[in-house]
Amino acid sequence: MAEATKQAQPIPAEMLYDALKAAGVTDVVAVPDTHVRSLIALMRSRDDMRFIQAATEDEAITLAAGLIVGGRTPLVQIQHAGLYACVNHLRGVAIEGQFPMLFMIGLLNRDPDRAPRDHFDSMVRHAEPLLDVFDVPHYLLDGPDDVGMIEVAMREAQERRGPVAVLIGEQTS
Amino acid sequence: MEATTTHMPLGGALDVLNRRRKDQVVVSTMTTIAPWRERDVTERDLRCVGFMGGASTFGLGVALARPDVPVWVLDGDGSLAMQLGSLLTIADAAPRRFLHVVFHNGVYDTSGSQPVLSEGRMSFTGLAEGAGYAKAVRFEDVESFDAAFDELLEVDGPVLVELMTEPVRRDYQKPPVPTEQTAARSRRTGRPCVTRWRRPPRASRRRAPPAGSPCAA
Repeated sequence: MAEATKQAQPIPAEMLYDALKAAGVTDVVAVPDTHVRSLIALMRSRDDMRFIQAATEDEAITLAAGLIVGGRTPLVQIQHAGLYACVNHLRGVAIEGQFPMLFMIGLLNRDPDRAPRDHFDSMVRHAEPLLDVFDVPHYLLDGPDDVGMIEVAMREAQERRGPVAVLIGEQTS
Repeated sequence: MEATTTHMPLGGALDVLNRRRKDQVVVSTMTTIAPWRERDVTERDLRCVGFMGGASTFGLGVALARPDVPVWVLDGDGSLAMQLGSLLTIADAAPRRFLHVVFHNGVYDTSGSQPVLSEGRMSFTGLAEGAGYAKAVRFEDVESFDAAFDELLEVDGPVLVELMTEPVRRDYQKPPVPTEQTAARSRRTGRPCVTRWRRPPRASRRRAPPAGSPCAA
């Protein structure tokens, strides 16, 4: 549960992509997100991780659950607004169904000088507290040095058989 | 349109599906869960409760993970209405061996038979075609569904079948309100507490959800 102690830095999309692959991600179920659009563009252009676009975050979660039942290791990539939209599916599917599901959540419009919890924008401010309410472990990726937490988060999701989130603090480059 | 629509019994429609059941993964939800479980349940039956509208994309995930295994989703009209965008998600992913069966009875059976929106004017077949499904067909009687079903299984999916069915729970009784509320209301009105919820027949609860199912909890 890292807090921002220095200015957040953009993470190169290529670096995130490699980290996801190293963590064993086989499929990315995504809802469009401005914050990580460079990563989405990269994922769409490659074929070593399957990219599946969902119309809503609810669908992304159930789709990922089905992939897990079928033996795959998906990432659910959404934005903070999408997290608020899919709370019941997070609860009913990912948590109650005990699915080891890794979430990547973009904190769009986050001020890189402020910790998300102290943010003036409620969209950013409530993301971590909401995850806390549901006991979903989360890690803030505030720059290239934090990318290794993706593998840690994936391992934790599989060990606890439940959702774990990584939050992307600054728009990807 | 509604005046000329006929409706088939849910059980008859499920029998058509059950007779063709082989190695398919079958994802059921809401009203169809209990009657489907009374048929030939296998370890490939998955049930979705508690996140209405999620059955179709849950089935999509299985279909994309295991393209060698056909997937049938037994969906409801009220459920699908809660996640209409899933039609686009499924059409875009284009799973080849994916049969999306929508039981269209016009009501939210499990919540007290409230009407589904735009009932009598709306067509799930039309919505699926518009979304980009490979094929979408509506049936109003068991016989025509039975006659066409084998041919539908040969079509590269996703395929949506809209079955006009009869509501099954016109005698549904609401679940009990919490004890505190019931007691407070009784004190307030002077009437006795009479809320009782009839559990479904034991035969429909005979199996626990399989491990790994999101309905296992």
